[in-house]
Amino acid sequence: MTDFEDIYNRYAPQIFRVCLGYTNDADQAKDLVQDTFVSVWKNLSGFRNQSHISTWIFRIATNNCLRAVKVAKRMPAAELPSNLADTFDESPEEKLSFLYKCIAELEETERVIISLELEGLPQAEIAEVVGLSNGNVRVKIYRIKEKLAQKFKANGQFK
Amino acid sequence: MDNLNDLKAIWHSAKTDSLPTSVEMEQIIKKFRNQKLRNKWLTIVVSCLISVLMIVVLFIVPFKLLVTYLGGGLIATSSVLLAATNIKSLKRFYQLDDYSNLDFLAFIEQTRQNQIFYYKKTMVIIMLLCSVGLLLYLYELTYQHLFWFISTYAAILVYLLIMWFIVRPRSFKKGTEKLNATRQRLEKISNQLK
Repeated sequence: MTDFEDIYNRYAPQIFRVCLGYTNDADQAKDLVQDTFVSVWKNLSGFRNQSHISTWIFRIATNNCLRAVKVAKRMPAAELPSNLADTFDESPEEKLSFLYKCIAELEETERVIISLELEGLPQAEIAEVVGLSNGNVRVKIYRIKEKLAQKFKANGQFK
Repeated sequence: MDNLNDLKAIWHSAKTDSLPTSVEMEQIIKKFRNQKLRNKWLTIVVSCLISVLMIVVLFIVPFKLLVTYLGGGLIATSSVLLAATNIKSLKRFYQLDDYSNLDFLAFIEQTRQNQIFYYKKTMVIIMLLCSVGLLLYLYELTYQHLFWFISTYAAILVYLLIMWFIVRPRSFKKGTEKLNATRQRLEKISNQLK
């Protein structure tokens, strides 16, 4: 069994990005990372390798995200400014901020799925985290990407 | 930007260096790991202590009236029930960590149902047992002194009336609002996974 320090160093940045993608709020994402690793710390000795440790950790993290009711209150559906073209900038920070705003417009489970996809998790593992079939997850990822592509195209991001 | 694969590059450009180091995280965890469940643990410990204390008193002190033993027994029983309910609830919290999102939503819904049951049944039973127990238990201690009898029972009656008709309905209303918000949110998220 890998020890906590190795697990934390390996997965904390990934979990942070996923939580940040979900919440679009760095402070809350940090709190969710903390909650996730509190659970990992408590349950690491009982982890039975029935699934990949990454699947287990991402399950905990995404469940914490879904449970975070305050996020939903803080993030109204229409978060994007109406005139996107005027607000876009080519700097990496602005690109990232725009991506988060696009993700914030998605439904909760879509936010989870696309965050895991962008993090590079295999689709089979995403299916295990979410609890859907591989086929279902594949279709959902395709649709989410289409939605994101439309937003980016509307903003002149894709050629 | 040519395609959506570039999104991964943007995604990974997020800065993560503000995260605590593993050593700092271990310190944070040690400090805060039980903070969220502290109230539940506190309730369990206090209820167990009251229950044990009451039983010890009933065995040690030679009370003359049966109602005193009956009252003490009811208070001890209500404390045990309160502890048991919270232990059961704690157990569910500790078991929740390896659920998929879909299973987790079902778990939250079950928790919501349990909370509704608690507000409508368990809480009423516990309060009823404790209230009746208290009224019976104090009878022997006060019935020989009219002043103490009246003032004690008046104070207890006021306290119980406040608990039954102000505190409990408020707590129920607050809990219900929270549970309804959870239900609406769960329905919304569950529909997304269909």
